[in-house]
Amino acid sequence: MALDPQTFLQTLEERIGFTNKDKHLLNLYADWGKQIAPEMSDHFYSYLNRDSEMSAILNAKEGRLHRLKDTFIQWFYEMFTGIDNWGVSYAERRWRIGLVHVQIGIAPQHVVPAMATVIYHVGKKLRTDGKDLELYDALSQICMIDLAFIEQAYVEVSSAAVLKETGWTEGLFRRLIATGANSIQGVNR
Amino acid sequence: MAISTEKLGYVLQNFVSTTSDVQGAAVVTPDGLPLAVNIPNTMDEERVSAMSAAMLSLGERIGMELARGAIDRISVEGDAGFSILTSCGNDAVFLVLASKNAKQGILMLEIKRTVSDLRYILG
Repeated sequence: MALDPQTFLQTLEERIGFTNKDKHLLNLYADWGKQIAPEMSDHFYSYLNRDSEMSAILNAKEGRLHRLKDTFIQWFYEMFTGIDNWGVSYAERRWRIGLVHVQIGIAPQHVVPAMATVIYHVGKKLRTDGKDLELYDALSQICMIDLAFIEQAYVEVSSAAVLKETGWTEGLFRRLIATGANSIQGVNR
Repeated sequence: MAISTEKLGYVLQNFVSTTSDVQGAAVVTPDGLPLAVNIPNTMDEERVSAMSAAMLSLGERIGMELARGAIDRISVEGDAGFSILTSCGNDAVFLVLASKNAKQGILMLEIKRTVSDLRYILG
């Protein structure tokens, strides 16, 4: 189930409706993004740190939280710059970030609500600083795309591990999921 | 040469009806898709097919990991009978359901013969 990050990014852009207008708007406010990134990083990790399971993971190694905060700041800024206009480099970096989340053990169930708090605080900041409110929509969209990378990384890594250990084909794996899902009570197609 | 589903169905039907204590059989792809199925109607054809392919594949993987060489067959023995999975080359898996009373020697011989027929049809 090897995923091509660039194809995945393009699919998500179309699906979510992330347009050139959104990209232009984000570029326009890149400096503002860079300026508020540390504050958003604090919101993100404060939220995660409140959870005991996450706190244990974030503080498992000395300096990990500090490094993660720095990575967040860079990641946040890149949502505004698009690195290479949301091209190959952007997609590959997002994919790597997703894989790091899997390695560390920060699951989508933790990232999604933490990201929602960031979006909330960005919205507040936008209003306080009197910025274009359309920026909020653009940022929400790219944020959803980046979240999809993290979620997909979990699916891909888990699937790849199962396929490697069992020798099952992708088709068989999907079939087992489908037949298994059908047998779970309450799942109706 | 196209695979004759009619011939597959005939071989399966013949095997199930003429072999003592056999209660059902199926031929499925390694992806878990049914090619020919003759199993009790209380069983879900899609699920049985997927499970059969999954089990044979996992068994082969275990054989490799535990240095048991190529796997001839996988047999699951329950208090109500046997489920036996045999590979039919790269393209198919043969599942046989037999009752507890089945005579192992005869059953294995019949499976071997049928697998040979199935391999021929599958090309």
